[in-house]
Amino acid sequence: MSQNVILLVEDNPDDEALTLRALTKNNIKNEVIVARDGVEALDYLFASGPYQGRDASLLPQVVLLDLKLPKLDGLEVLRRVRANKRTKLLPVVILTSSNEEQDRITGYDLGANSYVRKPVDFTQFIDAVRQLGLYWLILNEGPPARRSW
Amino acid sequence: MTDSAEHNSLHAEERYRLFFEGNPHPTWVYDLNTLAILDVNPAAVRTYGYSREEFLSLTIKDVRPADDIPAMLESVAKASSDDEASGLWKHRKKDGALIDVEITSHPLLYGGKRARLVVATDVTKRRKAEKELRLMEDRFRLMISAVKEYAILMLDPEGCVISWNAGAERIKGYREEEIVGQHFSIFYPAEDVEAGKPEYELKVTSLEGRFEDEGWRVRKDGSRFWANVVVTALRDANGELRGFGKVTRDMTERKRNEERIRTQNVQLEAANKELEAFSYSVSHDLRAPLRSIDGFSQAVLEDCSEKLNDLERDHLQRIRAATQRMGILIDDLLNLSRVARAEIRKEQTNLSALARSIAAELRSAQPGRTVDFQIEDEIKARGDPHLLKVVLENLLGNAWKFTSKHASANIAFGKATINGTDVYFVRDDGAGFDPAYASKLFGAFQRLHGMAEFPGTGVGLATVQRIIHRHGGKIWAEAAVEKGATFYFTL
Repeated sequence: MSQNVILLVEDNPDDEALTLRALTKNNIKNEVIVARDGVEALDYLFASGPYQGRDASLLPQVVLLDLKLPKLDGLEVLRRVRANKRTKLLPVVILTSSNEEQDRITGYDLGANSYVRKPVDFTQFIDAVRQLGLYWLILNEGPPARRSW
Repeated sequence: MTDSAEHNSLHAEERYRLFFEGNPHPTWVYDLNTLAILDVNPAAVRTYGYSREEFLSLTIKDVRPADDIPAMLESVAKASSDDEASGLWKHRKKDGALIDVEITSHPLLYGGKRARLVVATDVTKRRKAEKELRLMEDRFRLMISAVKEYAILMLDPEGCVISWNAGAERIKGYREEEIVGQHFSIFYPAEDVEAGKPEYELKVTSLEGRFEDEGWRVRKDGSRFWANVVVTALRDANGELRGFGKVTRDMTERKRNEERIRTQNVQLEAANKELEAFSYSVSHDLRAPLRSIDGFSQAVLEDCSEKLNDLERDHLQRIRAATQRMGILIDDLLNLSRVARAEIRKEQTNLSALARSIAAELRSAQPGRTVDFQIEDEIKARGDPHLLKVVLENLLGNAWKFTSKHASANIAFGKATINGTDVYFVRDDGAGFDPAYASKLFGAFQRLHGMAEFPGTGVGLATVQRIIHRHGGKIWAEAAVEKGATFYFTL
C-alpha cells in the first residue's frame, strides 16, 4: 500500500535542499523521507535499524535514487530492493548526475523504472521535477498493494 | 720350336694390333728422337680430325698448343728415363679446338727405334663438369660463410661440430678452429645439459627428420641468449644418417622487444582504466557543486527579487550563466575523452539517413526557423555508427547554429570525388569564418567567434577531428566571412 510518500535517497545536502525546493515550487505536497546513504534507504524500506517499528507494509509511492552514495551505492540498493519480494515492484527513478552509459545499462538491467539526469541548470531541474511529480505521483498507476507475503 | 715361337709371337702381334686398333682411346706411337708419329689408331683419327696419312706426317709437337711446347719437350726429356708417365695436358685438334686429355705413356721398341706408346683420354667433358661442381660448391660455401644473421653449422651423427660459419662465430662467439670437433652440448646451459636436452634433440631429429626449438643458449663468454633453432637430419641417397644441419637465430633482440611491448600494453591498459575511473568521477563529482551554485543563485533570485536591484539581479544571472556553461564544458570534455578511448567498430553506415534524422531533430527543437536541407541520398561509408553520428551532429549542429542569424538558410550534406577519393561535406551559407584563422578551427577550446555572437565551448570540432583521425581520415574546411562554410572529411 502506498502512502503517497516520496523516498529521496540523496547524500548531497545541497541537492537535497534543491530537490525539496523544486518539489515545493511545483506544489507537490507529498511527505518526503530523505535517506542519506544506501543503508538508511534499505533500513527505511525494510523497517529495520532506526526505522524498526515502522509498518513495513507501507511503501513509498516512488523512490528517487541517486547513484553515488556513501556506504552502499545506488545500484546496490536497487539490486536489493528488486531482490526482496516485498519491494520488488516498487517504482524506482534513478536521479543522478552521471550520464555514463555503463550506469544507464546497469540501472535498467537491475530493474530501474526510469533514469533521469540532474541538470546543472536549476530551471531545467525544476521542470524535470515537475514532470516527475506529474508522472509518478499522478498519472502512473503504481503496483497494487500485496495481500500477503 | 722356332715355329711355335714364331707362331706365338705372331699371335702376340695380332693381339697387340687388335688392342691398338680397337682401343677406344686415341693411341699412338712416337719416335723418341725425332718426335715423329710412327703409328696412330682409329680413335685418334676420329678424335683429332687428322686422317691416318696426315697424322703419320706429324710430330707430337703438332697436337699441342704452341705455348705448351716448351713444357712438353721438358716432360719428354724426363720421360725417356721414366717407365710410365702420365699427366694432364691440352691438345689441339686439326680444326684448332683445344681438348683436355689425360696422357699415359710408356716406352716401346718400335721397328728397332726407341719410341713411346701414348694413350690419350679425352677428359674435356669430365673436367668441365668438375669445374661446374666446384663453382657450385664455392657458391654455397660463400653463401653460408657470408651469412652473419644465422649460425649455420653441421654436426656429425654424434653431435660434434664439423662445420662453422661467420654467423655462428658472431652469435656464439667461438672461432672455427676452437669449436670444430667439440660436442654441440657446449652451447647449452648447464641445467639443459644435465636434463639431457641436447641428446634428446638429436634423437628426435633423427626420428622425425627435423626439430625446432626456442630456448636459452650459452655463448663462449658464458652469456645467455634466446635462440630459435632448427635441426635437420642429413641423410645420403641410401638413407644413412650423415650428420645434422643446425641453423640458429639469435632472438634476444626480438624477445626483448616483445617483453617491452607487453609491459607497455599492460601500462597502457592500466592508464586507460585510470582514465575511465577519472571520467566517471568527473561525471558525478564535478557537476554536483555546479548544481548547487546554479540552484541557490536561482533561489536567491526568486526569493529576494523585490530586494534586489537590476545590477544585483544581473550579477546572479551571470553566476548562473557561467555555471551552466561550465556544465556544458564538462559534458563536451567528457565526450572528447570518451571518443578518444572508445573502441571503434566499423560497419557500413548510411550517412544520409543519419543526416536526415539529425536535421529532423534540429528542426523540432527550433520549429520557427526557415532552413532548407539538401541531403544527398544513399551516401554510405564504413565506420563506427555511433561516432559518425557524433560527427554529423556536430557539423550539422554547427551549420544550424551559424546560420541562425540569417532569415533563411541552406544546409547541404553530400559526397564528392576529389582525386579519386570519396570526400564527404557539410555546407552552409551562414556566418562562415575568416580563413586566416583556419588553423585554429580544430583546436580544443579554440573559437573563432565571441560567446555573445554564437554560443559554444570550442570542443565540438576537436571531438569531430578526433573521430575522423581515429578512422584514418582527414578533415578540413573552406569558408569566407558571411559567405558560409564547407567542412570536408574523408574516412
